[in-house]
Amino acid sequence: MSATRVSLTDWLRGSAVYRSIVRHGTADTNRNRSLVIFENLFLHVHPVKVREKTLRFSHTYWLGGVTLVSSLVLIATGILLMFYYHPSVPQAYRDMKELNYVVDNGLFLRNLHRWAAHLMVFAAFLHMLRVFYHRAYRPPRQFNWVIGVVLLIVTLFLSYTGYLLPWDQLAFWGVSVGTNMAKEAPLVGEKIRFLLLGGNVVSENALLRFYVLHCVVLPVAFLLFLSVHIWRVRKDGGVQGPPSDTNDPRGEEAP
Amino acid sequence: MPLRRLFAASSVLFLLVLAISPAKNALRSYRSLQRQYRKLGSSRAHSLKAAQSYQARPVAIRQIWLRDFDNRVDRCETCHLGVADPLMAGAPGPFALHPGTPHTPEAFDRFGCTSCHGGQGLATTQADAHGTAADAGPPMTPPAFIEAGCGRCHLAENVTGAAVLSRGRALIARAGCYACHAVRGQDTFRSEAPPLATLPLKTGGEWLKRWLKDPKSIDPNATMPNFHLTDQAIDELSHFLFAAQVPKELAGLIEAAAAEPPGSSANGKKLVSESRCITCHTVEGKGNGSAPELSKIASTSSRGWLLAFLREPQAFNPRTPMPRYHFSETESRDVVAYLEDEFRDFDAPKGILEPLRVNQSLAENGRKLFRLYGCFSCHDPAGSASEKFGPELDGIGDKRAQSLDFGRRTDLVRTLPAWLAAKLESPRSFADGLKMPSYGFSADDSRAVVTALLALGAQSVPERYRYAPPQKPALLPGGPVGSLIQSYRCLSCHQIGDRGTDVSTAPLTYEGSKVKRDWLVDYLMLSYTLRPILEERMPVLKMPREDATQLADALQNFYVDPAIPADPFAGHPASDADPVEGQRLYVGLGCRGCHILGSSGGYYGPPLTEAGKRLKPGWTYAWLKGPQRWRADVRCPDYGLSDTDALRLTAYLETLQAAAPAAKAASVARGAK
Repeated sequence: MSATRVSLTDWLRGSAVYRSIVRHGTADTNRNRSLVIFENLFLHVHPVKVREKTLRFSHTYWLGGVTLVSSLVLIATGILLMFYYHPSVPQAYRDMKELNYVVDNGLFLRNLHRWAAHLMVFAAFLHMLRVFYHRAYRPPRQFNWVIGVVLLIVTLFLSYTGYLLPWDQLAFWGVSVGTNMAKEAPLVGEKIRFLLLGGNVVSENALLRFYVLHCVVLPVAFLLFLSVHIWRVRKDGGVQGPPSDTNDPRGEEAP
Repeated sequence: MPLRRLFAASSVLFLLVLAISPAKNALRSYRSLQRQYRKLGSSRAHSLKAAQSYQARPVAIRQIWLRDFDNRVDRCETCHLGVADPLMAGAPGPFALHPGTPHTPEAFDRFGCTSCHGGQGLATTQADAHGTAADAGPPMTPPAFIEAGCGRCHLAENVTGAAVLSRGRALIARAGCYACHAVRGQDTFRSEAPPLATLPLKTGGEWLKRWLKDPKSIDPNATMPNFHLTDQAIDELSHFLFAAQVPKELAGLIEAAAAEPPGSSANGKKLVSESRCITCHTVEGKGNGSAPELSKIASTSSRGWLLAFLREPQAFNPRTPMPRYHFSETESRDVVAYLEDEFRDFDAPKGILEPLRVNQSLAENGRKLFRLYGCFSCHDPAGSASEKFGPELDGIGDKRAQSLDFGRRTDLVRTLPAWLAAKLESPRSFADGLKMPSYGFSADDSRAVVTALLALGAQSVPERYRYAPPQKPALLPGGPVGSLIQSYRCLSCHQIGDRGTDVSTAPLTYEGSKVKRDWLVDYLMLSYTLRPILEERMPVLKMPREDATQLADALQNFYVDPAIPADPFAGHPASDADPVEGQRLYVGLGCRGCHILGSSGGYYGPPLTEAGKRLKPGWTYAWLKGPQRWRADVRCPDYGLSDTDALRLTAYLETLQAAAPAAKAASVARGAK
């Protein structure tokens, strides 16, 4: 029985379809194991080998990981919320009520999205502080620091654009105040506000723009920069923990 | 490894936390209510099958979705399961059958629930649906004001079946709220308050100050509210009003009238009772109350002004409902002499009608006060047409309590009806510097007004839900006839089409089809009591013959119902017009229970002694075939007479030509009382 099973697995791995997907066959040697990682779009951002030390809580406090996981929660709940939400003035607030009153676990879904968003912003800040105090922004990681700053800005924009979508008083005035602050920017302020709102007041145009930004433009940008960020962690020599751990400025990770 | 254990424990904990939401979902209160309803239904059901169908009802959210009514979704029936179920009459808790209204139980699917009751239809929990939870949606309308819901769709002032709302709307119009506050559909409203130009020649400084202090204490019928002015403000306003320039023409009339010799008070007494002033005015509280109290009129207005006003009321106030009486010069002197003798305030100080000597600087301050308090909104409406003095009231019924300024009134319940009632009762109590006057509404009146205000929604309901009663044609001719109708103020008591007032029970819309011309001419010249049971009677206007003829001809020509045959007997055999048979019917149907004929009969309906002289046979016939055709509240029973019987009765009534002179004299005397 077991002999046939092994040969079945071998046959499967030897088949043309499998080989067309995974070129190197069985990960039987260290080289092949590495190649499987390198050649895979999804895996190649991650290092092939990770030292146990870097997984310790005190090493990074898992702050990047928390941010990443909460962003995944946000994407999952966000997609579900999109099934129930219409970005239009007569419907938007009503859909909040529907989630509250009729949709099974709708309130839970909304609250999960909301608290995950808070957590993500909070964790991203702490992550940044951690990186700063561990001097992990120094060369060769200076570019990834910049990517990280961009990711933080995208995160904040995601958080802000999501704020308008319930279309309640809080949202309306929050966005009114926020865009009025943007207006105070020298020279381009007025233009930025007009561009954001699709007009001069918070109206249905603003709602639609914020919706498209929140659900399409910013998430795509976020995923793009996120992949670069994680890929660069590996390329820059892996996660750098507290600098006192080692004198090697390149960190302790060999690719 | 402690970290792993911690991880395991937290995973289990997290799983438990995750279970909270589905558990809450499964334990929503409507589910248990629906299970209770199943039991209740099957215990009340009359047959096994019906009981089983109650048992088989799925536990689910139930809703009425009205796509064309603001996309309204009402889930009230999720808990109120028995509203349309006759078996649930008197059922406990939320399951009871809805009481019968003009729209229920058959029209739930057309109107939903929140259109009448307010509240939040989307919600599926009680606190949220009823609006009692903090930060919930719109609250339900309290039962005391429930007719506000009717008023969202029914826009006419008078709504059948909604007495409180109708009264509230009438009170608002009478109090003149629309003069200061803009409301949709009331743009053309003009106050009936008199212009103040002739005030310096009408009254005295002392009287004016008393009036400004509290109008209702002087005349309980006063529409003018109490502005709670300080003595100083009253003084300044009085100086301003007495500084007004009286138009030359009117001043001439008043001064000439003042110089005339006194008349005969005894004859005046006769004239006053004949003219039936108390059809509109009150005397010591008795009377209709739609016009000012007369008992102290001679201490209110100077003799010259009274005389001039009586002769030409509409020259003094173009919007007055007072008709122009055609008293002769002497007769009007007699009327005023009687008023001067009997209708005065014997406790008033001697100089109550002394004119005020104007102090210019006080008058200047008074001018500012006149603007500050918005007096011009009622007393000089031309000046206020462009801009309303007060805040607009559209949408007041949808204001949320959180957005209302309760100011100092921390004692109030934080609800819109409480706020509105307090605003009406003591408008100045909320903060300093408020200007709204108080109207002295009784508790019932206040409830009616609040109901009418709550009906003013932020958005009007969709076209197909709006209801206005069908427009009746209101043909108001211009030219000489039009100015006669104007000058005699027919519309102050009668209705023509949708115009006019409901003081008289006889609309003039089809008067030409109803009464014979010659009778009408005589009646206009010397009217008498047609329906002795009514308090309100047609005043004797002393109309000259040419005016009466012209009006009668116009009524005969314009105000005709084409559906009423001119000759009902045409095309019928002669035997149908048998008055003897008709008389038998008259006795048999018991007409005399309500109608006087000769010297006997009831006095609910109009006397028929001279019915043949007064009524056209076509009208009589059409009336007998269906008395409620013109007004739904007519008490005359519909006997369902056949054509033949109706014609016979008509023929009989046609023969009743001669008025018994005694009866007529008696009715005149009754009217004179």
